[in-house]
Amino acid sequence: MQLSCIYISIIFVKIILMVKTAGLNFAYPGEKAFHFPDIDLVPGEHLLILGPSGVGKTTLLHLLSGILPASKGTICINDVEITSLNRQRMDQFRGTHIGLIFQQYYFVKSLNAGENLQLRQSFPKSLQDKERRQQLAARLGLTEHLKKKVTQLSQGQQQRLSIALGLIHKPKVVFADEPTSNLDDKNCGKVIQLLKDEADICESSLVIITHDQRVSQHFKNQIVL
Amino acid sequence: MKLGYLAYRNMISKPLNLVLSLLLLVLSVSLVTYVLQLSNQLNGQLNKNIAPVDMVVGAKGSPLQLVLSSVLHIDAPTGNINLKEAEQIKNHPFVGTAIPVSYGDSYKGYRILGTELAYFESYNVVLDRGRFFERSFEVVAGSSVAKKLGLQIGDKIVGSHGLAASGGEAHEDHPYTLVGLLEPSGTVVDQLLVSNLESIWDAHAHTDGEHDQEDHDEDEVVEHDHDDHGDKEHNHHEHGEEEHDHESHVDEGDDHQEHEDQEHDHAHEDDGDELEITSLLVKFKSPLGLVQLPRFINENTTMQAALPGFEVQRLMGLLGSGVKTINGIALAILLVSGFSIFISLLKTIRERRQELALLRTYGLGTRKLLYLVLFEGLFLALFGFVLGWFLGRLALLLTSTYIESGYGYVLSIGGPTVIEFALLGATLFIAIVAVTLASTSIFKMNISKILSDD
Repeated sequence: MQLSCIYISIIFVKIILMVKTAGLNFAYPGEKAFHFPDIDLVPGEHLLILGPSGVGKTTLLHLLSGILPASKGTICINDVEITSLNRQRMDQFRGTHIGLIFQQYYFVKSLNAGENLQLRQSFPKSLQDKERRQQLAARLGLTEHLKKKVTQLSQGQQQRLSIALGLIHKPKVVFADEPTSNLDDKNCGKVIQLLKDEADICESSLVIITHDQRVSQHFKNQIVL
Repeated sequence: MKLGYLAYRNMISKPLNLVLSLLLLVLSVSLVTYVLQLSNQLNGQLNKNIAPVDMVVGAKGSPLQLVLSSVLHIDAPTGNINLKEAEQIKNHPFVGTAIPVSYGDSYKGYRILGTELAYFESYNVVLDRGRFFERSFEVVAGSSVAKKLGLQIGDKIVGSHGLAASGGEAHEDHPYTLVGLLEPSGTVVDQLLVSNLESIWDAHAHTDGEHDQEDHDEDEVVEHDHDDHGDKEHNHHEHGEEEHDHESHVDEGDDHQEHEDQEHDHAHEDDGDELEITSLLVKFKSPLGLVQLPRFINENTTMQAALPGFEVQRLMGLLGSGVKTINGIALAILLVSGFSIFISLLKTIRERRQELALLRTYGLGTRKLLYLVLFEGLFLALFGFVLGWFLGRLALLLTSTYIESGYGYVLSIGGPTVIEFALLGATLFIAIVAVTLASTSIFKMNISKILSDD
């Protein structure tokens, strides 16, 4: 009797997945299509997507974050099927629930480091949280650099600012593209730990896409492209 | 952080770009506002100054010069006319008022005008302090003169011969006494020192006795030694006679005129006929006067009649084509500046396409990005316009100081006019068109490609 109850509840309680893709497929015009394996990621869990160059890693990240519309298949983020959202809703959804850490560092150059963080908190809905900015900056060692122009920051500082920009708005899921590609072994480990710690503090799921084998020891959830 | 603030920060982050896009706009706006203000104010002032005068009668010469010198007081007079001959016009049935004016002297660059009290009435000028002149060598000062020279009632004014500020010789034996200060009227009267006709005659009567004729300008009143009392009496006498005979004189114009001419030739022997004025300012009672009298005077007398309205219109017609040309050029520059704003925005969008793509990943929709560009375009247009407007006013102020020292005219530096608001509208419209054209690429932006390109 008890057993059957548990069995029934497993059937009827729907488990909400943070990231769920099915039959994802993308083709650039005139090129061979990329077929991506299905992803099922439980909230709060992290995932490493490993793959050599040219298998469509960045393409997958752009698909998952709705920057690029999929040719076929569905993507659900936090139980929202983003593949069916229009552009405007997608922009809003991404701004609110997704954090992006790019391989290259993109900032608004006319603003200083602190203002870049402030800007990230301003859209799509303004949630100016100075305390959060200060805490995050302190944990990432950026406190004394917030007033600096972004172009004046060192490579390492730019990377940490980039991580801060991916997390400042407490996203449900953070996608990071090759976050360790130009780091030595010591710093590679530090940055991955930093990302994982910050994602845990924000209760965000972290998805890292990389070719860097050094990262694999840090993740138990892995998908190989 | 607001979008407007971001747009502002983006803009000032590249000051050189900003200056470049503003330059043409500022240039065109300042040019249009300056030229429009200048021509409007000049036109307005001219019209105000010529309003009380329908016709000027003076010595033969250029009619424009006659108007400029006798009505607007910005040119040398054409010469003198015989008072007796001029006064016949006064009695014509079509003539309302006819005010004789005489001048040729100045005080520190301001003209001393000899005339009658009716002159003030015609310009609706009233006294601020003191009284009008009652005797010879009493003078009242226009408001600008009094203010500029710091004149007070009771001051002695020594006129010097000629109209230039540097002056000719001083009439030191005949100082004027300031008896009244006039209220500002916004007309040429503000720039004058006004006395009676006799003062002018007497001042020159004295000098001529001491100096050779050749020393003087041609506009000088030719005078002989005589005392004012007799002079005036004689005048009155003449006047009465003229009134009496008036109708027949004018009707038999030709004969009369020949007679007058002969009289004029022999004038040196007769004190009364000798009196001269520079010109006669006529206001008609009937519009028919405008049709008949100028022609009659020009054809049948040694004098000429000029119509200020016509002459000023002719002058403004000449100036007007210049104004139109400059405005045309300025508007062309405005269009080019619109184009330069377009290019600048396009360049900005291209240069910042990674930032714009980044903002898309932050959740800013294409519409918000469009606002960002729109803010920038409108800010450029508005800032450029305001800067240009102030520059135009500054130029007007400089011009005002210049023409005030040269011609005694003052330009008012006022707030924005309706036409300038229309110009602002046009500027903003051009900016919006430029934004619309430049921002089409925002809608076509492939953020995935931009963010994966190196």
